[in-house]
Amino acid sequence: MSKLIIDANRSNFSINFKELFAYRDLFFILAYRDLRVRYAQTFLGVLWAVIQPLFTLIIFTIVFGKAIGVSKDIPDNIPYTLYAACGMSAWTYFAFVMNQAGNSIIGAQGMIQKIYFPRLIIPLSKAIVGFVDFGVSFLFILVLMLWHGVIPSGNILFLPFYIFMTILTALAVGIWLSALTIRYRDFQQIVPFMVQFGLYATPIAYPTTLFNEDYRWLFYLNPMTGVVEGFRWSLLGTDPPNPYSWISFGLTVGLFISALYYFRRVERVMADIV
Amino acid sequence: MSNVAIKVENLSKLYQIGTQKSGSLRDSITNKWDQLRGSKKGSKTQDFWALDDLSFEIRQGEAVGIIGKNGAGKSTLLKVLSRITEPTKGRIEIHGRVASLLEVGTGFHPELSGRENIYLNGTILGMTRKEIKDKFDEIVAFSGVEKFIDTAVKYYSSGMYVRLAFAVAAHLEPEILIIDEVLAVGDLEFQKKCLGKMEEVAGQGRTVLFVSHDMQAISALTSRSIFLRQGKVDFIGPTPDAINYYINQTKAQDLIYIGSPSPVAPKITKVSISTSLPNNVHTNGESLIIEITIDTPHSLQGACLSFHVVDSKERNYAHLWIFDSDQPICREEGTHILKCVIPNCRLYMGRYFLKVYFSEPPGGQIFQVLENICPFEVVMYGKHREFQWYPEACAYIEDGTWEVQHKVIP
Repeated sequence: MSKLIIDANRSNFSINFKELFAYRDLFFILAYRDLRVRYAQTFLGVLWAVIQPLFTLIIFTIVFGKAIGVSKDIPDNIPYTLYAACGMSAWTYFAFVMNQAGNSIIGAQGMIQKIYFPRLIIPLSKAIVGFVDFGVSFLFILVLMLWHGVIPSGNILFLPFYIFMTILTALAVGIWLSALTIRYRDFQQIVPFMVQFGLYATPIAYPTTLFNEDYRWLFYLNPMTGVVEGFRWSLLGTDPPNPYSWISFGLTVGLFISALYYFRRVERVMADIV
Repeated sequence: MSNVAIKVENLSKLYQIGTQKSGSLRDSITNKWDQLRGSKKGSKTQDFWALDDLSFEIRQGEAVGIIGKNGAGKSTLLKVLSRITEPTKGRIEIHGRVASLLEVGTGFHPELSGRENIYLNGTILGMTRKEIKDKFDEIVAFSGVEKFIDTAVKYYSSGMYVRLAFAVAAHLEPEILIIDEVLAVGDLEFQKKCLGKMEEVAGQGRTVLFVSHDMQAISALTSRSIFLRQGKVDFIGPTPDAINYYINQTKAQDLIYIGSPSPVAPKITKVSISTSLPNNVHTNGESLIIEITIDTPHSLQGACLSFHVVDSKERNYAHLWIFDSDQPICREEGTHILKCVIPNCRLYMGRYFLKVYFSEPPGGQIFQVLENICPFEVVMYGKHREFQWYPEACAYIEDGTWEVQHKVIP
């Protein structure tokens, strides 16, 4: 028979991975619910996953590609649209998961106040929800690559690593935000701003080489910079990732671990303050 | 001590009231600033111990009720026991798999079909996919919504919704079941079904912890009860004793009507009822006494006094009267006490009031009409029958005898 001890004096701050694994059914069914609900009663369904980033892409192509003339800073064999699409697909996934995970705990207050389960399941499950959009945009990139005859190099072997890093970064920021949002509703206002700001602060529409080498490292304080560059490099064989990328990766890992611990701390009082 | 299911030691839970728990960044920063400057301005919080040093033990297979007034800490206790929130002090030991039902249909999503919601809700309640799959047909049959199982639940009637939600909960198989007043939902038919299921669970040797305001349900389902008051265990013992204690403690006001006499007109100065249990709680079948005191400054000719027993919807259940023409009343000035004995009060369980009329014969003066006074409750404690008592099944229980004949068809 299972035995459980709740002791206020011996509070456990470690994360119970065994328990998280035991709740994997919940993890998947929550993701399934979100997917089903997201496109319920919409006429275009999953197509919406393409339409929104597609329009941003068109704007990028006109503004950055044509008007500002970023095209001349990227390799000749790669059309600007494809270049931007690569960055966009990683960024869109990140923005979506960060946003969804960030608001997930607030959105699940009803459940949190009525039943116990490891709360971390909620933001984590959002990582799966983002895959649909990501898959669709990935297909779009493949079609573009075929169309323009761009053949991926051996770098593509690193793609799974960069996809993994995209997920990790999105979750790290998302988990931080989900826990912060319960305490401070201000973060609900900050997220849309972060998404908008990040879209331009991350080298999606342009390469970092556009900027003076002395200040370039500043870009890598944004954890998504390393990911986006690496993602593009592994698919299109553009400039290899800058060594500064390690700053980005380090930040991602640091953010993720600290997110887990901050979340755990807030989790203890979550039902009381949500 | 292997037969202990739940052991609670010195459990306390502190809430801070007055603070904005989830506020804005600005409040947080100004509070911190005030703290740094040593100003007391930021610390206008007040401590509130929702649970205050609770200790008790529940044995395996026991069905225990938790009762108490609003704010006594019942819900907090359930939340701590079901791990929704953590205690501030103390220790809990739980032996066995726990399922807690603080509401039915937790996580139900209106856009999903009944089938999908069964899986979703079941998983949230702690069942595995396989367990749900195995019991799926049973759950659907119990809910009675077979025809609509693939329809989005937003199109369900509220009754169907609750039935489906409860059906999932009813098929949990934990060793310890923690239930908050989830029975207060659904139609009568379904409530009966739920009570039956609860009894079945308690009967299977599982430990049940049940919180309710409904003393009828507590007395039917539990053998021992904990009475909480201001976060402390005030009484713990056999359910009938705990219920008596509860009734004693939760005195309602104005159980008695008191009016002041007038020097010019006759007045009812007091109406009181004596019930079989304290504080105007009466058991069906016991004798009920109503006492009415009248003060009159002068003699009355042909006074009429009557009263109705009404429920909260002002439906009349009984009418009793005393008229001067039948039996002389109030023919002299001064105080008169009229005592009405109902030897075998047949009123069915429920809440009632009195409506008293005091007047001259028809066409004459009406002295007083007192509405909704002397609230009292009729209960069925200790009256057992094969089927559950459930509210509003009838208005009163009539005495009757049965004869049974067996006819053989030639």
